[in-house]
Amino acid sequence: MNQGGSADTITTLDPNLLEVADSNQGSASSYYTPSGSEAVPWGMHRADNCSTENGILSSSSYHHNQLPEPPSRNIQDGLNVTSVSSTSSLGATNVPQEYNGFASYPNTNPYGYSNTGYAGYYNGYQHQSNQSYPPPVGAYQSTDIWKLYEWRLHSSTAAATSLQYQQHYKQWADYYSQTEVSCAPGTEKISVSTSNPGGPLPGVTTGYSASFSQPPAPFIPSWRPETSSSQLPSVQPGAVISGVHDGYWKHGAPVFQNHNASLQQPQFQKHMDSNPTYEGFQDQQKTACPQGSNIQYPAAHQVPQSYQSSLPTVPQTVTPLDSRRVSKLQIPTNPRIASNLAFGLPKTDKDSSTTSTAAKPAYISVSLPKPNDKVLSHDAADSILKPGVFPKSLRGYVERALTRCKDDTQMAACQDVMKEVITKATADGTLYTRDWDTEPLFPLPNVDVANKDGLPVSNSCFFIVEEQKKPNEEKFSGGKLEKDYSLNSLKFSLSEQRNTNKNSPRPVKRQRFAEGPDAADNGDASSDSDKEQSLTAYYSGAIALANSPEERKRRENRSKRFEKMVVAGLLKILIGMRLLSRGPVRKLRNAIYALHSAPDPATVRPEEVLEKALVMVQNSQKNYLYKCDQLKSIRQDLTVQHIRNELTVKVYETHARLAIEVGDLPEYNQCQSQLTTLYAEGIKGCHMEFSAYNLLCVILHSNNNRDLLSAMSRLSVATRKDEAVKHALAVRAAVTSGNYVLFFRLYKTAPNLNTLLMDLYVEKMRYTAVRSMSRSYRPTVPVSYIAQVLGFINVLPRSETGDEKDTDGLEECVEWLKAHGACLIADNTGEMQLDSKNSASSLYMPEPEDAVAHGDASLAVNDFFTRTSS
Amino acid sequence: MAYISMGEAHRRITEYLNRFSDAVFSQDGLSLKQLFAVSSDSPTLLSLADALNVFQDANRVIKQSDNYSQFGEIIVPLFRSLQNYRLGHLVDSYQAFEKCANAFIQDFRNWESAWALEALYVIAYEIRVLAERADRELASIGKTPEKLKGAGSFLMKVFGILAGKGQKRVGALYVTCQLFKIYFKLGTVHLCRSVIRSIETARIFDFEEFPVRDKVTYMYYTGRLEVFNENFSAADHKLSYALTHCNPHSEANIRMILKYLIPVKLSVGILPKNSLLEKYNLVEYSNVVQALKRGDLRLLRHALQEHEDGFLRSGVYLVLEKLELQVYQRLVKKIYIIQKQKDPSKAHQIKLEVIVKALKWLEMDMDVDEVECIMSILIYKNLVKGYFAHKSKVVVLSKQDPFPKLNGQNLEALSWSAGHAAYSYDYGLIHAS
Repeated sequence: MNQGGSADTITTLDPNLLEVADSNQGSASSYYTPSGSEAVPWGMHRADNCSTENGILSSSSYHHNQLPEPPSRNIQDGLNVTSVSSTSSLGATNVPQEYNGFASYPNTNPYGYSNTGYAGYYNGYQHQSNQSYPPPVGAYQSTDIWKLYEWRLHSSTAAATSLQYQQHYKQWADYYSQTEVSCAPGTEKISVSTSNPGGPLPGVTTGYSASFSQPPAPFIPSWRPETSSSQLPSVQPGAVISGVHDGYWKHGAPVFQNHNASLQQPQFQKHMDSNPTYEGFQDQQKTACPQGSNIQYPAAHQVPQSYQSSLPTVPQTVTPLDSRRVSKLQIPTNPRIASNLAFGLPKTDKDSSTTSTAAKPAYISVSLPKPNDKVLSHDAADSILKPGVFPKSLRGYVERALTRCKDDTQMAACQDVMKEVITKATADGTLYTRDWDTEPLFPLPNVDVANKDGLPVSNSCFFIVEEQKKPNEEKFSGGKLEKDYSLNSLKFSLSEQRNTNKNSPRPVKRQRFAEGPDAADNGDASSDSDKEQSLTAYYSGAIALANSPEERKRRENRSKRFEKMVVAGLLKILIGMRLLSRGPVRKLRNAIYALHSAPDPATVRPEEVLEKALVMVQNSQKNYLYKCDQLKSIRQDLTVQHIRNELTVKVYETHARLAIEVGDLPEYNQCQSQLTTLYAEGIKGCHMEFSAYNLLCVILHSNNNRDLLSAMSRLSVATRKDEAVKHALAVRAAVTSGNYVLFFRLYKTAPNLNTLLMDLYVEKMRYTAVRSMSRSYRPTVPVSYIAQVLGFINVLPRSETGDEKDTDGLEECVEWLKAHGACLIADNTGEMQLDSKNSASSLYMPEPEDAVAHGDASLAVNDFFTRTSS
Repeated sequence: MAYISMGEAHRRITEYLNRFSDAVFSQDGLSLKQLFAVSSDSPTLLSLADALNVFQDANRVIKQSDNYSQFGEIIVPLFRSLQNYRLGHLVDSYQAFEKCANAFIQDFRNWESAWALEALYVIAYEIRVLAERADRELASIGKTPEKLKGAGSFLMKVFGILAGKGQKRVGALYVTCQLFKIYFKLGTVHLCRSVIRSIETARIFDFEEFPVRDKVTYMYYTGRLEVFNENFSAADHKLSYALTHCNPHSEANIRMILKYLIPVKLSVGILPKNSLLEKYNLVEYSNVVQALKRGDLRLLRHALQEHEDGFLRSGVYLVLEKLELQVYQRLVKKIYIIQKQKDPSKAHQIKLEVIVKALKWLEMDMDVDEVECIMSILIYKNLVKGYFAHKSKVVVLSKQDPFPKLNGQNLEALSWSAGHAAYSYDYGLIHAS
């Protein structure tokens, strides 16, 4: 508390930091510890969001946003104040009520933020920045208070608590109006709520579930204001966005909301499963409440969860960034943006570079001693103090200290003291150097005194953060705050854009996530913790380096890199959302590239360019490999931009045809499966042609009757009447009955590219035919007849005149027969005959010289390259 | 729903609970099984469901007595399932029932004897039926039906419990059959293979030990699988087994078996009497049979076209299509017989153009090359004995037995009539030749 008093401007930040850190800890203490850096920005971000919400249209979405909170809040209150037995029903019924209550809300905003519009907000933002360093925090503060106020209005259901909150509100109002305020009053309240240990578990779960629906809503409003803000600092991408706002808005909203809906259930269940962390979480929530930051809590809680589960998709190297991006896919909440903000801010700003480092250790230290209140939280403590994150000896120290405690209250007090100790150690850098094994244990705190003093659990958290802040504060009070600030705001918008980028739609992943969130988060907890450890290591390193000049230089570089990424990412997302119809890329040719990360917007071609590119490929004289590459890159650009229309169909059809032409079946199969879904979506194309191909493929390649039956039964009456399909069905009949004459007749009359697919079966057909002939014909069969019946004659397209054709075909037939072990003799007229009796026993299928094991000669590699490189 | 007083509702619930605990304590599988039959629409369960809807706090009643509360994990979800079933919430009903079933098999695993097998059967049946209905509900609201798949994996678990030594193993085949039903419905027939393998190769199962009911079902499904694979002799064996052991009074089942057995029999050259087709309402096959008798290619193609959808769906289309060669054989044989009547000395030489002409009469437009090809195939497949002289375009038939009977026909015909005494009077078989 004393320290709280000594802190000045920066104090405003603290509750946020604290709260977020807490919440993370509570909910995901088992694995989440070091990613605090993420959580810290969170609160700040949230703040900025809220304020923008106030400022602009977002009234409707704002209700959404708020809606789930009050109920959860109420439940919490109910737990604390009264013992509500059926909390679940309470939560459920409260939702609508609260919702109505909120409808009137934006007008009643006492802070005047709401009606001034965004510009107003921005000004206010600037203005605040003069007073206190981190501007978003200022904004945040205001919204917090404002929310508290709202609580007061709406929490009539929990009368007892509402009183308390009103009080809070006043205090916070004061707190807000003068930036240099000690947090003492706030902390006093903390003690009140924290001293109530957890209520019935079910109640808490309802709180959670109610809050699940929250994240998407806040996200939506956040876009618009942010992008407009980006216009102010004359950054190029900003200009691009502005035109696109509305569209984006429309696009964005449904997408994310849907997404969240799907998430809701599994996450909820997950909570149910993790009871121990749960308890801890509950406590956290309570400690957080009085500071007003509890509002955010549900959201805060949610994101770590999703973050966790989404991690598996993140490449190792850029953990902090990427993880953020991926998690955004899942739950694109504003908090994310904030996290970037905090991240981006310090990094882009030379002068404020220390903030980040200062803030991070603060966060860590706060999260460390968090296991409090409960015997249960021993588990949490264990997981927090896992090896690698904190020295093992420290863990032992904590355990020693805790085991001395006789009861819960004592333990809570004990943990408080410990928190201080560890925080101090972190602050002066001795956390890793000190020998915790020999460190003397502090005297057992007198619980009564602690309570009287109102120095309970989270109180200490408060000044822990403050303590951390001191260095920054010195930095910033040092002078050109104004300038810093404007710089910050620029970066701020930038980083928001980066967010958008991170948020970019990766449909596949999102889908995957929706399908199996549980599996995802179960499986990768361990690797997460690894990352966290490395993160922690990084931060602790950063603390040490914070003031060295090299480090600053490095940061500068990094910030530049970030800016680049921001611009690129922004373009990408806009293209992704199909808002930016014309990309910067006008060139037709483009190479396929492996997508290990978000595609570079600078290389994504817009639709009309792709259309031209397709024509270019179609008319190209180059070989298949080149065309395949080009088509793949077109496909990729289409996919990246979510274009699914007739052009898409055309591209896939073109590619499929090319693949058939050169016998590249794997590629063809890919295209075919895409086409099947595209046609199923009702997009027009050469549906019939490709059902015929599909049928032929099933007939000729899979030896599976059931596949064939299902493929046939799927054909509609109309489809069956189509020429190509009819042909394919006739081919099937010829194949199943072994009617080679029919087969090769159909081969010659095949429409479209059916011939080429049939090609793949020709060898087999000829072989069985000759076998059957040699068994049934006596004494001889003229080769000319065989050549005619088995399609050697009249098939080759390159022969010119009739005579040549025949002789060519004949020669080929003779070659083929010889290759398959047939006995040929010449009769008295000199005509070649097949000696059927002798051949019957000597026929064999030649080794892969010209036919490969699977009977598909066209896939032989050498052959493939010789043909395609023409 | 008639109004039920709280007291009445309470009475019904406690009655059910009493019956449940009595059944378990006296190890009375038969009375226990009735208590699980959610979808049976039995009056007791319906009235219980009504009572549950009135009397919301059934859980408290369960908790009151130790006798009940030890089955709480089974009964609580079962009540919820009943309630939801009554209200028409089939997905919820399924989900609750799955919980109940899971709890039940936990207990079942611990019971030494197999007294509760009957109840387990009911659960296995119910979970499938409820899953099917839940899937229908899901599909109607545009969601992916996935419950049947879930039921499949649950039953796999049950199979694992039963497939061991001891008395419980006789239940394995019932569960297998339920699994077959699920897999055939889902079109994931390949999943059957692992179950079949463990039934047929594992020493712990003596196939004859299983109940007849399950054996018939098992043989029916495995027979169908053999039809898919065109493994006709195995299919014939399995389906014939199913037919002989099937309850003669369950005509629907007999019809289902015959639906696959007839094509199989046809393809080995055994034709059913028309009366049989009529009795079991399998008239879609009658034209096929006619075509085979007459060598009428046109009739066969027409019959196939007419019932194409049905044949494709049941999976016998390809089997029936292959009968074409037999029709050709019949046609050639007819020509041979006619020639023999005219001039026995030249009867074994059939000119190709005669066959072409005959086909033309059937409005089958085929040229000499094509017919030559078909003759070649007939000879190659040993449907016709002889050779083809290309120069003179003549089929030269063997003087001895030019139209050999189909493989194993005699032998199978024997087993067919012997094992099938009950039906021989109406399933009299005539041979194609």
